[in-house]
Formats: sequence, C-alpha cells, structure tokens
Amino acid sequence: MQADARTTAPRAAEREAADRVYFTLAALIGGVVSVYFLLVPVLDLNLAFHFYLMLWITMASAFNVAAGFSGYMPFGFVAFYGVGAFTTAILVKNLGFPVLVALPFSGAAGVVLGLLFAPTLRLSGIYFAIVSLALASICRLVITNMPEEITGGSFGLQLGSRAEPVLSFYVMMGVMLVALGSILWLSRSRLGKALRAVRDDAEAADMMGVNVTRVRLYGWLIAAVFPALCGGVEAWYTNVVDTETAFNTLITAKTVIYAVAGGLGTVTGPIVGSVVMVWLDELIWRQFPLLNLLILGVATVLLVLFLPRGLVGTLLRRRPQWRRYIP
Amino acid sequence: MEILILNGLINGLIVGGVYALIGLSLTLLYGVLRIVNFAHGEFVIGGAFVAYVLFNALGVPPLLALPVAAAVFFALGWIGYYLLMPRLSRSDDPEIMSFLMMYGMSIALAAVMLLVFEADSRSIDYAFEPISMQVGLVYVSTARLVAFGIAVAIAAALTWFLFGTLPGKALRAAIMNREAIQIIGVDVVKLSAFAFALATAIAGVTGVLVALVFPAFNPFSGAEYAIIGFIVVVMGGLGNPVGALLAGILYGLAEQMSTVFLPQAMAQIVGFAILVAVILIRPTGILGWRAQR
Repeated sequence: MQADARTTAPRAAEREAADRVYFTLAALIGGVVSVYFLLVPVLDLNLAFHFYLMLWITMASAFNVAAGFSGYMPFGFVAFYGVGAFTTAILVKNLGFPVLVALPFSGAAGVVLGLLFAPTLRLSGIYFAIVSLALASICRLVITNMPEEITGGSFGLQLGSRAEPVLSFYVMMGVMLVALGSILWLSRSRLGKALRAVRDDAEAADMMGVNVTRVRLYGWLIAAVFPALCGGVEAWYTNVVDTETAFNTLITAKTVIYAVAGGLGTVTGPIVGSVVMVWLDELIWRQFPLLNLLILGVATVLLVLFLPRGLVGTLLRRRPQWRRYIP
Repeated sequence: MEILILNGLINGLIVGGVYALIGLSLTLLYGVLRIVNFAHGEFVIGGAFVAYVLFNALGVPPLLALPVAAAVFFALGWIGYYLLMPRLSRSDDPEIMSFLMMYGMSIALAAVMLLVFEADSRSIDYAFEPISMQVGLVYVSTARLVAFGIAVAIAAALTWFLFGTLPGKALRAAIMNREAIQIIGVDVVKLSAFAFALATAIAGVTGVLVALVFPAFNPFSGAEYAIIGFIVVVMGGLGNPVGALLAGILYGLAEQMSTVFLPQAMAQIVGFAILVAVILIRPTGILGWRAQR
C-alpha cells in the first residue's frame, strides 16, 4: 500500500491537524447517518430494510478488519454469526435470560471462537481461507448434532413473544455505531498501523519491534466480536434461529461481496459497498425473486474482473490526494 | 463386523476413486493457473446433470454420456478460460481473487441449475445387468464397480499423459516453474487454456461417475464436492497430481470407514478435522517433501 507520507514524517502538529479534520468529518457524517437511522421507526420507513442495511454494514466492516487491515480472507466468517445467534437463542430460550443480558454473551462467544481459531492465523493466503471454510462447517455440524433440547434440532429455536422490532432495531444501530467507531479509531491508531505493516511485510514489522502475533490476534478478535453480536441481534429481531439459516454460506458470500464491492482496506469502503449492494439487492429481489442468487453470483464475478479494488478503492487510486479525508 | 469393515474398505476405494479424480483436476488447475476453483463442485454436478438429461431425454446410457460430458466441458472450459483469466491475472492478488471470483461463479452456476432442474434430488434410474456383483464376501452394485473401473482408467490415462507425452510434460513443467518454460518457447497462454479445459472436462466426466456412485444429486450438492476436493488437494500437496490421487483414495477410505464406526454426521466432521489438522501440521501435504526439493 502507499505509505502515508505524514505518518513517516514526525510532524506531530500537522498530524494532529489532519486527525482533527478527519475525525470532524467522520463525526459530521456519522451524526447525519445516526439521525437518519434514528428517525426510521419514527417516520415509519421500511424497518426491515434498514435493519438489514445496518446488519450488513456491520458485517462487511468487521470482515474488512480481517481482510482489508490484516490480510486474512476468512471464508468461514459465518461461523461467528451463527455461534452468536445460537448463544443468544440458547440463553434466552433455555436459561430464561433477558435478551439484552444475553446479547453481550454472544459477543463473548465470538471472542472465544476467535481465540479458538487463533492458531490458524499462522497460515496465509489460500490455506487460511480453506481452513476457515472447514472450521465454519465443523461449527455448523457440531451445533446441528447437539441434543435437541439445547439447540432445537432441525426446527431451530423460537424465542416466542420476546419480539420487539423497534428496540432490536435501535440495538442493531448501537452495534453498528460501536463497530464503525472502533474501526475508525483502529484505522488511525497504532494498532491499525501495526496491522497494516504486518499485512504488508510481517518480517519487516517484526524487525521494527511490532509484536506480530499479538497484533494479528487483536485484529482478529475485533473482526470476530461484531458478527457474533449481529447474529445475536438478528436472532432477536426474527425471533427464530436454526442451523440452516444461521450458518448459511450466503451470509459469508454477501459479507465478502459487499465489503469487496466498496473496497477492502478503507473504513468507508464496506459502508458504501453495503449501501449500494443492499439497495440493489432489494431492487432485484422485488423484481425477480428467482434470479436473485444468479445475479448475486454474476455480480461477484463481474466485481472481481472489473472492479477488484471496489468503488472507494478505485476512487482513491484515481484521486490519491483524497486519501487524507476519506478514511 | 468383518463384513462391515470389508464393505467400508471396498466402498472407500470406490468413493475414493471419484474423490481422487476431483482432486486431480482441481490440483491441475491450481498448479498450472494458480486458480483456487471453488466452482469445481458445480462443474462436477453439471456433468451429472448432463448424464441425467442424456438418459432421460434421449435414452443414452451413462457410459455413452462420458465422452459427451468430456467434450461439452472441454469446450466450456476453453471458452471460460478466455472469458475470465486474462482480466483476472491483472488484479493485485490473483490467487485470493480467483477464489472470490470462483465463489461467485459457484453461486451463479448453482442458481442456473436450480432454475433449470429445480431443487429436487435427482438420480439416474439406469440399471446394469446384473445389478450387483460379489466381491469376496460382500455384494457391490455393478454401477459402482463400473464407475471405479472408469476412474482407474482415467487416472491411468492421465498419469500416462502427464508423464509420458510432451504436452503432459509441459503441463508438469508449468506447475514447477511458469516463467522458465516460456524461455524454452512454450506458449503458456495456450497451455493454460488447455489445462483449464482439461480440468473442466475431467470434472464433467467425474460428474457422470458421481451419478453412478452416489444415490442422488441436486443443484446444491456442488459445494460439498468442492470442499472434499480442497481436502484432497491440500492433503496431497497443492499442485501435486500424484499426491491428489493418493489423498483422494485415502480420504475416501477414511470417510467410509468412519461411517462404519461413527454416526453419519460425525464422519463429516472427521473429514473437516483431517483437513484442518493436515494444514496446521503439515501444510505441504502428505507428499510435501517432493514439492520442497
């Protein structure tokens, strides 16, 4: 990646000024977007559409921490989502937890799963991708084969009368804002710079005194916690969890495609990608429900062939000076 | 118990033969082109559907569907190569991008098959005479034995091709060092197109065998075969054809033997666990020492 000239020159004042512009811009845009989403239930706009828009923004952004910042392609990303969904569902249904108490446990489950998968971080490229895929399948099979009284077997778990669409909508919004805030912070923090350095050249980063293993692990855990939370909130929103939908590979597919469509490695990329693609998806789904899968697949192929850096990535390549203001 | 074990061994060999062919074509693609073909399973199921259509619409028996599937998929692969690869090779990280692109391809192909054939599981009601044969103590269906014979024949033919003929040697050379063979004057674009077409053709033929060996297939079974293909390829060492053949047989045996001793779902977990263990412990595959030299 292009080295950021300002970070190499030790001019603290200039860097602070740039940071100020950057965070002011982010706060402004974030404020406008928050107000918009806050008003969705009030103005009676399409609640489901906006709920899933926020869910995909969060998923794609978290995926971006692994794929864009750290250089890992977790093609089994759905594992975190599914385990998060089942954690909330099991706690609520079997142990009688209130939903809002159960949700943090979903996040914790994501972190635990991330720690369990951490040994795979020493793999790279295609090996990592394949192992990640296999681990997701193992998670699905293990949960599918757990006793029916815990996971509900093939019928799944119904959360019953706990549905609160508007409240879960706002909780999803909270998760999204926390995710975006963390990633915005990450992109400017020491950890974020260390992650990128390790991604580009692990040996060189090691020589410069970066603790490669620890930096990779931190990045990985940030990428793991948010999809697990998304799974938990979605389980609450739809009121039902089963292995077929919670571990559907399409969840990984959509996450990856939305993130790549916007551009990996930038904070705004996955957001732009999700907004554009979810909107397109809604448009296509309404018009041709049968062709939805086909179009999703073809869109992926075309994206890789013609826009491999994504919308934001391509824009930044054309206008490198904008890098300063577009995170 | 002995009969069960014997049964597991024979079925393991037969299923392993199919897996070996899937792995062989997948490893050829990776070796020559550095493409990680997630859509390989859909190519295989596509071959099964070719046999299905030929049998149900025209009454062509599965054995005669083999050359048709080979020809159709060879042509498709050739066209596909020129449509996809030139642009893909220009991206920043072609290897991981190929995985992503083929992921999309896999979704698209599965969707096309779903639109044409719908989600029901299909099988070919073709019966061989006699319907099963005795092998030692156990009875095995003739279709499975025939499929195994074909798999062995194809593997033998490919081994002869790769090790005994000039184009085959060029392919192996391309796996070892893509730059060097261009200096000797090999047209690497044509060779890659040929490799892509050949791998696709093998996948299509394997699909016909899948229709003979396994009870049923549907548009969504592709992903399973792709994942099994990855397991086999990684176990055998990426880009190592001989390793893929061995690993295919081994994996088939392991899978069938674990269905003897474990419940069905556990057997699947065993397969994935083998994959993860092999990659973590010995990332160069079971024949890895050869690749390193």
